Amino acid sequence: MPAHSLRLRTGTLPRYRPPEPDDASTGIPVCRLYYKPMVNEAFIPAVLSLGTLALALGVIIYFVSRKFHVAEDPMVTIINGVLPGVNCGACGYPSCNQFAEELVRTRDTSMTCPVGGSDLAAKLGDSLGIEMAEPKPVVCAVLCQGSDNVAKPSAEYVGIQDCWAATQAFAGPKLCRHSCIGLGSCIAWCDFNAMRIENGLIVIDSDLCTGCGACIPACPTGVLVMQDKKADRIFIACNSHDRGADTKRACDAGCIACQKCVKECPEQAIVIEDFVARIIQEKCTSCGKCIEVCPTKVNCIVRLNDTVKSKQAS
Amino acid sequence: MKTFTVGGIHPPEHKLTASKAIEAMPIPAEIAVSMNQHLGKPAKPVVKVGDEVKKGQLIGEADGFISANVHAGTSGKVKAVKSAPHPGGNYSMTVIITTDGKDEWLEGCNTPAIDPTSLSKEEILRKIKDAGVVGMGGAGFPTSVKLSPPKDKPVDTIILNGAECEPFLTADHRLMLESPEGIVKGLLIITSLFEGKAKPFIGVESNKPDAVLALQKAAAGKGIEIVTLETKYPQGAEKQLINAITGRTIEEGQLPFDKGCLVQNIGTALAVYEAVCLNRPLVERIVTVSGMEIKSAKNIKAVIGTRFSDIAAFAGSMSEKTNQVITGGPMMGRSQFTLDVPVTKTTSGILFINNTMLTGSRERTCIRCGKCTSGCPQSLEPWLLATEAEFRRLDDAETYGLMNCTECGSCSYQCPSGRELVHWIKYAKALRNNRRQRKTA
Repeated sequence: MPAHSLRLRTGTLPRYRPPEPDDASTGIPVCRLYYKPMVNEAFIPAVLSLGTLALALGVIIYFVSRKFHVAEDPMVTIINGVLPGVNCGACGYPSCNQFAEELVRTRDTSMTCPVGGSDLAAKLGDSLGIEMAEPKPVVCAVLCQGSDNVAKPSAEYVGIQDCWAATQAFAGPKLCRHSCIGLGSCIAWCDFNAMRIENGLIVIDSDLCTGCGACIPACPTGVLVMQDKKADRIFIACNSHDRGADTKRACDAGCIACQKCVKECPEQAIVIEDFVARIIQEKCTSCGKCIEVCPTKVNCIVRLNDTVKSKQAS
Repeated sequence: MKTFTVGGIHPPEHKLTASKAIEAMPIPAEIAVSMNQHLGKPAKPVVKVGDEVKKGQLIGEADGFISANVHAGTSGKVKAVKSAPHPGGNYSMTVIITTDGKDEWLEGCNTPAIDPTSLSKEEILRKIKDAGVVGMGGAGFPTSVKLSPPKDKPVDTIILNGAECEPFLTADHRLMLESPEGIVKGLLIITSLFEGKAKPFIGVESNKPDAVLALQKAAAGKGIEIVTLETKYPQGAEKQLINAITGRTIEEGQLPFDKGCLVQNIGTALAVYEAVCLNRPLVERIVTVSGMEIKSAKNIKAVIGTRFSDIAAFAGSMSEKTNQVITGGPMMGRSQFTLDVPVTKTTSGILFINNTMLTGSRERTCIRCGKCTSGCPQSLEPWLLATEAEFRRLDDAETYGLMNCTECGSCSYQCPSGRELVHWIKYAKALRNNRRQRKTA
């Protein structure tokens, strides 16, 4: 077969033909659209019926909105803008909006937002022209130091990684049944990213913690408590209500209720309740004498420094 | 052969100890009698440290209506009354007794057999209550409470549960073989409480034909029907057993009384007989010690309060490969975190196993194969309940029948993705209870 027989037969393809110039002077083709005007008799009933309907509904909506008009105080919007807007529920109301409504309605100076702290109280007071009570800044504290190498393990847990699921199987992966289970059920409840797990123990960033208290019911063993923020806060980080000997066997950092700190405290600020010591924060002067006498291997008394923002300081 | 209509599975039976006669376990040097061996409120300890106790002496008093008495399993001296590990996975108040080896009965206990027909209904119920008899199948519901149903709910069917559908367990099987007369007498005492209006049945799975024969021989001419049931798990669950024998279905929130039924375990019937006729409180029970990792698997008669560590030593120690110790059967039993836990009234078995599934992560995503749904004897959709639990949508889980789940484990057993379905369901129940408590508090 000769090679030329494979040549494309271009003769049958339509040729490109440039359009004839409309404007003779420039030579640029001008596009012209020819169409029939689209006003047709078929449109008239549709436009009329829908238009009447819209008008009628509009009139009804107008009267309904007049009839059921709720006068909203513009103040609520202002207050809402000031509030943190995280709906954590720490104030006792389900949402920030309801707090704002209640505050504007009652002008109750004792209402506080623990998340916003004193700065927010000042702002709210300015907006409403009243003197708001200063909220007591609180912070979440973990009453357990039983991290992986301090607390003795009981049995390895391989089930669902959640504290509540673990308590369905047994008392917890640590020998002490009052301890932090360390699987972090509480983390999901924290809106402020203030919690993390380190070495099988929950750790709270007291700068990020706003003290909203959402995490407290999420803990099956109850190691989380709220404490007043203090520049020099001393507390007993143990939750074990077992007898001293049992506590000692289970954990190196457990309070064995030895009474040494109770005797040492010059302010009588320490009491033993149900085999665990507790510091009464109002009496505590943060002298730290109790820390020195604590005989446990890992000191069960913890000293923490919170950054306390107050109205006077700012 | 009768069986329940919905769901059910066929796990391997592993009845290693079926042919081994019950051995009496020697009393250990120390026993720990838990005060929480039954459903309801734990008993109140009534002994102090240093008290001398005799076998069968009351050491824990029933505290409230749904509660049961607890008795000393042997004679000895009270060493401590403290909170100690409990096979339920937690701690409970426990009376620890240093035994003296004499094993002396308290006066008035363990008397020669008396005729139960000479006793009135109230006397029989009081004796059962005093003896601390509870359901020995696993739940531990106080028997005296179960035997006095509300007046407006007539009971026409009494079923003794000898199904023993859990793999490994043979405690009830051996009991049916070795003391069928006692079981039949116990059943007749229970039946006599209903003044001849109730018909007694004994349900036994078909894998125990020798037990069926033994019971038939003992029950000949006494109006008791021995029903052979298909070997299928969970044949011995209360609701499934009622369905298999009578064809009735217990709906969500209903109790067997609502359908005119009463179910008791084989062991409970024997305990009733011993309590009523022999004045013996419930201080011993049959325990199957089994599993692949124990040297000599056997059925033992152990004093309630015997620690698992003593039992392991008696059964010839466990192998080094043991990584899980379970009380009860492998389907519904609980893993233990220590061997210091004691035998309770509801401990039907102790299994020493090497669970290869325990290493690494097990749970994978649900592939919607539907095996859990087809196996569920309660017509639930376990995968759905587990998903709702995972996302903490507890109200939705409740609408899908969360509280109707009996936690039999058929779904988890079958799941090809290794999902811990029952655990998720238990988790949802725990969260729901916690939320409810907080609302009422």
